[in-house]
Amino acid sequence: MQSCWFGDIDGSRCMPFTGDAAAYAARVREIRTSMDNFVPLDWHMAVTCGICRDRAEYLSLLQKVCIAGSEQAVREQYAAKDVELLQMTRTLDEMDTVINLLSERVADWYQIRHPSFSRKYRRTPAHVLVKSISERNRERGSGGGALGKVAREITSLSDARTALAKEVSARACEVMPNTSALIGGLVAARLLSLAGGLKELSRLPASGIQVLGARTALFAHLRTKAPAPKHGIIFQHRRVHNAPREVRGKVARVLAGKLAIAARLDFYRGCAVPAFLDDAQERIDRAGTYGKEEGKQQ
Amino acid sequence: MIRVGDVLVSKGEGGVYGERMLDGYRVWDPYRSKLAALYLVGTGIELLPETKVLYLGAANGTTVSHVADYVEVVYAVEFAPRPMQDLLEVARRRKNVMPILADASCPEQYAPLVEKVDLLYQDVAQPDQAAIALKNCVFLKEGGSLVLMLKTRSVDIRKDPDEVFRDTLDILMSAGLTVNESTWLAPYHQDHAAIICTK
Repeated sequence: MQSCWFGDIDGSRCMPFTGDAAAYAARVREIRTSMDNFVPLDWHMAVTCGICRDRAEYLSLLQKVCIAGSEQAVREQYAAKDVELLQMTRTLDEMDTVINLLSERVADWYQIRHPSFSRKYRRTPAHVLVKSISERNRERGSGGGALGKVAREITSLSDARTALAKEVSARACEVMPNTSALIGGLVAARLLSLAGGLKELSRLPASGIQVLGARTALFAHLRTKAPAPKHGIIFQHRRVHNAPREVRGKVARVLAGKLAIAARLDFYRGCAVPAFLDDAQERIDRAGTYGKEEGKQQ
Repeated sequence: MIRVGDVLVSKGEGGVYGERMLDGYRVWDPYRSKLAALYLVGTGIELLPETKVLYLGAANGTTVSHVADYVEVVYAVEFAPRPMQDLLEVARRRKNVMPILADASCPEQYAPLVEKVDLLYQDVAQPDQAAIALKNCVFLKEGGSLVLMLKTRSVDIRKDPDEVFRDTLDILMSAGLTVNESTWLAPYHQDHAAIICTK
């Protein structure tokens, strides 16, 4: 017996399937076809089945089924929790780049307008300068021309960035509770975006997670005699960058190991596992203390 | 194939992707479509009003829309949801395009939908392009044609494109297909080759 979208065919007999386009599409997804000695369906059987009267009707019905099925599949893939987080994280990172670029440019521009101005000895990073330019111009009421306008746009873009960062962090805690608990929502979201999805992240080895975001250094190492990178994006976490230089690589390695497990828990279970988290936090903290003490504990 | 002067065109409703119109025909740009490039650098395969096509790697439906202008029905298989959104829009306006969201290396996913076809067209960015084509030959009728757009850089970035091309030809011939034509698509597409076989 052969099953195709419009019914089950047994020799010259046909048992039609009835329903709307979505029901046909759901049926197609459930049919398990074996590709051994497979023979494609014959559309004439649809007429025998009484599904349609002629070729034109057959194609029009089939198209409805195909469109319904594909629309449903697209909807389902987009409904996965990590898909939107991926776009949010990438938007956030691109906003950072844009804001920095524009701020530096505006600072340079401002210096041309004020020949005696210098940023030396002032500890004025570009974003603070931009903020003061935009505020000063607003007070004057003139608007400050294009420079003031651009500065104000950058300020409002920064506000949008702050709001987005909060949302990313909150969403990451929801989508990947274990990973976020270990390394914080923002860095967890960046790991997700570098890996390309939660499924992809959960299938990376710990060593892969350790160097995610250090691609240039990794390939420089593989190609030349450059030293291997100790950490990629996980360096952004305080446990790694606050660790003393000597143990930083070790902390990164232990953290990556626990992150790999956390990502798998997030993908396959989807809820926080306190027993694992306590154990992992303790183990990572221990890696951060000096070697001697650790030797005693063990 | 319809040509106006030297320009390859197809007959249908325009405005799919901002293509130019010429005497009421849609201009088929060889720089955007590998199949159009094939008709310009080689002979290609004649698309007839009764032809049934299984199109693997349909992407945004650019080439699909032109193929659909010529043939009876196109079964358009695409794996990624993003381009599928565009393909669905093409299908809503063209009665003979059947959009299928599935993996071309798993033909069992769309086996219940697809009938025997006259032409199997494949344009997928995968390392095992020859294997995918052979798997899908079950849908091809005896004497039907396979048009394989070989993306050599997707097979192996480190290998010489010529070597990938020869290896692929060997795989197809040893599977019992007859190779009728094989050509590079330069200058329109770099490191892409077209292989036309008969089952």
